[in-house]
Parts: sequence; C-alpha cells; structure tokens
Amino acid sequence: MMAFLQMCNLPIKVVCRANAEYMSPSGKVPFIHVGNQVVSELGPIVQFVKAKGHSLSDGLDEVQKAEMKAYMELVNNMLLTAELYLQWCDEATVGEITHARYGSPYPWPLNHILAYQKQWEVKRKMKAIGWGNKTLDQVLEDVDQCCQALSQRLGTQPYFFNKQPTELDALVFGHLYTILTTQLTNDELSEKVKNYSNLLAFCRRIEQHYFEDRGKGSSSIKSS
Amino acid sequence: MAAPLELSCWGGGWGLPSVHSESLVVMAYAKFSGAPLKVNVIDKTWRGSRGDVPILTTEDNIVSQPAKILNFLRKQKYNADYELSAKQGADTLAYIALIEEKLLPAVLHTFWVESDNYFSVTKPWFASRIPFPLSLILPGRISKGALNRILLTRGEPPLYHLREVEAQIYRDAKECLNLLSNRLGTSQFFFGDTPSTLDAYVFGFLAPLYKVRFPKVQLQEHLKQLSNLCRFCDDILNSYFRLSLGVDHFLLKVNHRYLLSPC
Repeated sequence: MMAFLQMCNLPIKVVCRANAEYMSPSGKVPFIHVGNQVVSELGPIVQFVKAKGHSLSDGLDEVQKAEMKAYMELVNNMLLTAELYLQWCDEATVGEITHARYGSPYPWPLNHILAYQKQWEVKRKMKAIGWGNKTLDQVLEDVDQCCQALSQRLGTQPYFFNKQPTELDALVFGHLYTILTTQLTNDELSEKVKNYSNLLAFCRRIEQHYFEDRGKGSSSIKSS
Repeated sequence: MAAPLELSCWGGGWGLPSVHSESLVVMAYAKFSGAPLKVNVIDKTWRGSRGDVPILTTEDNIVSQPAKILNFLRKQKYNADYELSAKQGADTLAYIALIEEKLLPAVLHTFWVESDNYFSVTKPWFASRIPFPLSLILPGRISKGALNRILLTRGEPPLYHLREVEAQIYRDAKECLNLLSNRLGTSQFFFGDTPSTLDAYVFGFLAPLYKVRFPKVQLQEHLKQLSNLCRFCDDILNSYFRLSLGVDHFLLKVNHRYLLSPC
C-alpha cells in the first residue's frame, strides 16, 4: 500500500493504531484518511486515487490490464493465504509469535480471547477454500510455485510491465517485503523467496528508489 | 505399457460430457494431452465418497483434486503445456487464480445457492445419481458448503447482507468473463494453435454455465453475449468430445431397441 502511494508520488503520513481494524469501514487494514473521507483496501484505494487523477496503469492496453488483474489475484490467492496460514495455522508460529503480537495492545484476558477468535475465523476460512488439510510443506510448495511464476513473468525487466511500475508491482513488493523482513520461528518462507534472485533485486530496487530516497529509516531487507 | 488410468467423475447432460466443472477440467486436459483415460461415470451403484470427485485411480495411486490430477498426468508424460514458454506457464497460473477467485463464487451460486436453479435443476440431477438415503443429504451438504465458501471468502464487511454479496460476486464474475474474452480475442485457444491447461480450466468452468438450462440465467446471458467464449466452448466440444458422445448415444439406442424387442 505504501509502495503504491509512493509510486504515485503522493505525500503520506503513516500512523499505527491498535484499533485500526475497527476504524476501517470494511474492517480491513490498511486504509487511508484523506480530508473527510476514509477508504480501505487496495482495490477501492486504487479507484479513489484514480478518481483524483493519479493512476499507474493507464499506459496498459486491455490485454495487459487483464494480465495484471490475473497476476494480482494469483498473489492474493497464494501469497496472502500462505501468510495467513503461517501466521494462524502453524502451531509453532501461533504459539510463539502471533498470539502475543495480536493480543499485545489489550489487557488480559481480552488478548487471549481476541487471538483465539481470530485464529478460529482464519481456520474456518482455510477449510472453506480447501486449504484446511494442507501441510506446511504443501503450502511452501505453493508459495514456491507462485514465486516461480512471478519470477518468470518479471524476467530481466525492471518492473512487471516494463518501464513503469503498476499496482501489481506495489502489491508484489508489499507481500515479498513482509515475507522477507518479518521474524518468524522458521525462515523457510523467506528462503523460498530468496531463491529467486530477480525478485530479490526487484524488492531492493523499489525499496531504494521509493523509500530510502525519501529519508524513511525503517528496517531494510537483510542481505543473505 | 502404461498402467490403466481410470477417472471417476460426475456424468454429463445438455450436450456435455460432465456437468461438474472440476470433472470437466480433468476430462478436457486428458483429451488435450492424449492421456488414455477410462471414464467411470458415477451413478447410484458407485460406492466411493462423492465429496472428492473427480478421482483418478491407477494401479498404485489414488489422486483427487484437479490440480493434483493434472500434475500426476504431467509426470506420466501426458503434458499439454510442453510448447508453452516460461512466461506463458506463469500466465496460466495467474489466469487460473483469477478464475478461482472471481468466477467460481458466481458459478457456485448459480448452481448451488440460487434457489430456483438449485431446486429445479441441480438437486434433482445430482440426487438421481446418489443412492437413497444419501440422496436426501448430500446435495444439501454441497449446497451449504458452497454458500459457506462464498460468504467466508467474499462476505466480509461492509457487505453484510447476502444480497449485497451476491451482487458483488456477479459483478466480479462478469468482469472476469470480459477479461477472458479480451484475452482470447480471435485466437482458437489461449496460447497459439494447440490447447493447454488454461484452455482446460476455462472450458471446465464455462461449458456448464453455457449449456445447462437454468431458470435464473443472468450470468449465462452475459456469457452468451461474449461470442468468442461461446465459440471456444463449442469448438472444443465438437473437436474433442463429439465422437465419444456420439458413441454413447449410439449404444443407448442399441440397448433401447434390444430391451424393447428381445429375441
């Protein structure tokens, strides 16, 4: 999200709030607050920004736009679900990291209750889409397949649709960056991504170009 | 000598070899890749679990789920994608994800959730192929599962009411159909002159939507306006499935005549 807004050259101020999920109109983070309006989720935010006159994908023809939408669904389908799986369905990670992190803004016993509730919700969703019986290895294999597809599509180009970044680049960067920089009990997920050198270079390039240049000093990608 | 490959799947109707999308995907892929499949259509006498269908059985293996079955067939050297470039392979994965996210919810809704369609077409058709008393339970279970899936994946706030979710999923499905139509253009298949995995998936999901006669048809009407997608389905039916459908028809006629006039 931040990447997308940076790519559009819009000045933003990042605020971390504990009740962010409730402030958002759709219950999802991230969301942006512009004047009197609040818009959440990538799709509507992109539309909103487009309506204000900024768009990244105007230069694409119909077929390319179709491809971009398809790849965005692939990323959502595979990477997002895998991240959710790892956070909430892998017992080791849940016990050590997720519960603590999710419940940290709240007092006991609310922190436990909310964390268990969220875990139950996520497990229900996984079961409905058929991921309920997947083992960690199968999930990692799916992530690998997704990264391979992204890597093949990117090839040696600087961005997915040649010279200009689009919403797809922002989405891919967001997910890969999170995977590469978040500390988890096992590093297998980030190892899978690191296998693809052009994806790593892609992330580093975007980080340098859009974030470091503007003086943001947050955690950067560890060089392996 | 390759081990015999047997596919158990839901049967056909309305001119299709199968009315079940996932079964159709596997059957189409097998035709495209030349895999010699023996198709066992599920009827009342079939004993296995119907929840996992389509199922591929070989001498030592049982494989379920279309993605796994296709992977298995590829490992047995029945590969419909060997002419594709790496980028086209990646595109295949992306478009399949698009279909599963944007089109599948609306297809599930049209078949299993929309009450007019479900009670007058889907439920009777499936119930006639399931033995009593399971025929009273299983269709309802599948229908609830479909509704569950739609609500859990798309029914998040601010879409609280089922009607709003329905409106959204049909909007997404129509957009997905438009995108597929744009991508296909005037070509015969999605990648060049020979059909591949993506063609099998698109055919599997579109053909039932195109051919099955439903009372409530908004998505079907939209699909019929996209003439290149309709032509795509008809071409595949005529080129790859007409022969076997013709043979089945012929055998049915012969049996009928024999039954009527035993000698």
